Amino acid sequence: METRRARLAWLRLSPVGVTLLVVGAVFAVLTPAFLTLNNLLNVCTSASVVAIVGLGMTLAIASGNFDLSVGSTAAFAGCITMSMVPQIGVMPAIALGIATGALVGWVNGLIVTELRVPAFIATLGMLTIVRGAALIYTRGRDIYLFGKTDYKILSTGITPALLALAIALFFGFLLKHTRFGRHILATGSNLASARRVGVRTTYVLWSVFAIVGATAALSGLILSAQVLTGNGRLATGLELSAIAVVVLGGTPLTGGQASVPGTLFGSLLVAVINNGLNLLNVSIFYQNVTLGLLLLGALSLATGWTSKFGRMVSKESKERNKQAV
Amino acid sequence: MSEPPLLLEVRNLTRRFPGVVALDDVNFDVLRSEVHALVGENGAGKSTLINILAGVLQPSDGRILVDGAPVVFSDPLGSQRCGISVIFQEFSLLPHLSVAENVFVTREPRRGPLIDWETMNRNTADILHTLNLDIEPSTPVSKLSVGQQQLVEIARALSTKARVIIMDEPTAALNEREVVCLLGIVRSLASSGVSVIYVSHRLTEVFSIADRVTVFRDGRHISTSPRNAVTEQQVVAAMVGRKLANLQRPVRTPGEVILEARDLTVDHGVVRNVSFSLRCGEVLAFAGLMGSGCSELMEGLFGLRKITSGTVTLDGKPLQINHPRAAIRAGIGFVPEDRKTNGLFSDLAVTENLTIGALPRWLKSIPAFLDPARERQVALEYKRQLNIRFSRPEQRVSGLSGGNQQKIILGRALAENCRILLLEEPTRGVDVGAKAEIYTLIDGLVAKGIAILLQTSELPELIRLADRCIVFAAGEARAELSGNDVTQEAVMEVATGLSHRVAIRDQALEVTNGD
Repeated sequence: METRRARLAWLRLSPVGVTLLVVGAVFAVLTPAFLTLNNLLNVCTSASVVAIVGLGMTLAIASGNFDLSVGSTAAFAGCITMSMVPQIGVMPAIALGIATGALVGWVNGLIVTELRVPAFIATLGMLTIVRGAALIYTRGRDIYLFGKTDYKILSTGITPALLALAIALFFGFLLKHTRFGRHILATGSNLASARRVGVRTTYVLWSVFAIVGATAALSGLILSAQVLTGNGRLATGLELSAIAVVVLGGTPLTGGQASVPGTLFGSLLVAVINNGLNLLNVSIFYQNVTLGLLLLGALSLATGWTSKFGRMVSKESKERNKQAV
Repeated sequence: MSEPPLLLEVRNLTRRFPGVVALDDVNFDVLRSEVHALVGENGAGKSTLINILAGVLQPSDGRILVDGAPVVFSDPLGSQRCGISVIFQEFSLLPHLSVAENVFVTREPRRGPLIDWETMNRNTADILHTLNLDIEPSTPVSKLSVGQQQLVEIARALSTKARVIIMDEPTAALNEREVVCLLGIVRSLASSGVSVIYVSHRLTEVFSIADRVTVFRDGRHISTSPRNAVTEQQVVAAMVGRKLANLQRPVRTPGEVILEARDLTVDHGVVRNVSFSLRCGEVLAFAGLMGSGCSELMEGLFGLRKITSGTVTLDGKPLQINHPRAAIRAGIGFVPEDRKTNGLFSDLAVTENLTIGALPRWLKSIPAFLDPARERQVALEYKRQLNIRFSRPEQRVSGLSGGNQQKIILGRALAENCRILLLEEPTRGVDVGAKAEIYTLIDGLVAKGIAILLQTSELPELIRLADRCIVFAAGEARAELSGNDVTQEAVMEVATGLSHRVAIRDQALEVTNGD
């Protein structure tokens, strides 16, 4: 059935997939430490942290929005869970942290749908507010969890990878096989049309933002579990990595489309590159430059592709547009 | 006559794109001071020719001659230097700049390094005067109506001392009054020595102003003839390459009253105290100029605007329409005027576009889960029923023609099992063949007992489709016409509040003579 769709998705996926293989092969040759079980597990864990929030971001972007507040949300949720573990136990604290993330996300949604602030601005505002809230909550200090090693389970072994995979499967299913998923894509493709055909766009956006918040919180929990420390400065800049992996994965920023596997591959690619450069003792500064270059490359490739498709689709209108400019 | 009458010649022009020949060995010429209409369906090659003449595209083969001398337009500037100016369908005005700035953009008169505002405004005012356009050159373009913006485009063309102005669907966004005004200006341009290539779907306009009519089809030149030597039917036949189906409204026998509106007021008075009843199996049209309130009434009936007083009853039971969802649930479907912004999901597939409004109806036994097999089956069903042309149900709708996109939106409303269909400009931006098809489809739906409320600015379309017509002016229903009383003249008379006849040609000539 979905031959064309599948082919297109594969095309979008392939640049990041191919790059991942090439980069992996290069590192494998350059440093023997790369292809060890332990190192690959490390790569998977750091990829998973970004992948989880990136998957949420994929939904947000598919719905025609952004969430720039995910880094702050991750930190805030991390701090809350850390501080609550001794009082209410591990599982309830985790649930509370994720609920906090969802709540922050829902507030984002409220600002976007009710105050009609564009998501970019709304979540930019929330980025600072929530970061501030996290710092206020911790009074700027670290929260340590001594001895509570069962919380560490969140970040050990293949738990993060399993979580990321489970969420990816769930979101993939959501987008493809449920009415809610279809409504997300419809909202992202054309908000006015979606309203007209009876989609409750407000609820769709609330839900999407709440989901992004929840995924951000989960990422934050894993990060804090890794170091068993809650800190208001945790996950600074996570929003950019999250958007980066979505874009690398081939989800267009224009909304209405999503590539869930692409986001997974994008996260792996970023993690592999950072890890490989670490192993090669390349400074963190150069790693930043590499990541930026990668993103620019992916974006220019993606737009090149789209315009090529566009030209094939409607030659005449395209040319008319060109003239209009 | 010292100058040769042939101003612009196109000889054996061919343009190939990968996989397509958009123009195939085409000949076309323009005389001095003539209005030469170029007609054809979408994909006939009109746009390609325009783009070549504008210097946007280069021909693969063939020659262009201006004043008998061969020229090559490597870019739009080259074409402008030869006196060719193109007004594209999507305007290229800068909305935040003034009229004068738009007219002289990139050619601003200067005093030293600075812009000479005085000269610029004065020159603009002069040109505006020749166009009978009474606006200040310093007005921002965004404050103007679409019709006035069109005239600013023409003013810009004139300011470049254009000898040939190419207009691509110039009346697509204009209302009836603005159209009359524009046609008058086109005639007066021609009598003042400027030639106009007039590209349009609307044959009424073409026949009211053109000196010659050229038909393109599938990238080929089909015919060029003086306007007096051909009939509209012949031109349509040449455009579509076959005879079109019956162009008459069938005789209909409406059934029971399905929808009844009493004293409706929309948005606290945009539309005031309108009452009407709609029967199964009939087409009731709302007619009126822009701002008359008929589209606002349609939006009110679909829950897009607030009905602030009055009652709506469906099958005799009162109905609250406060959201499109309520309307859809009540069996009301809506085909919006502007399908790109208010109808289509261009990123989504044909299937998804067809089923989106009806998803609640097609869930599997477990709620909220989609049923792809059923969706696909529905898509193929409507493909057959509405003759929608697409290759795969998974194809994205952005690649389909306007006519097929419109049919998809129509199909979506039908998939919602609607019994009442609100149609806004059902054939806007659709070519002649698809238009006839859509009319036939509408006839078929009505025959099946669906009740249709129609709003259209194309009077021939209204006459063709509507059994009854309520004419609006200034937010009020002014008259109800039915059967053979629905004529263009009668509708316009009420809509404009004047007793003028719509014979566009008379008006156009009047404007010309007055010049």
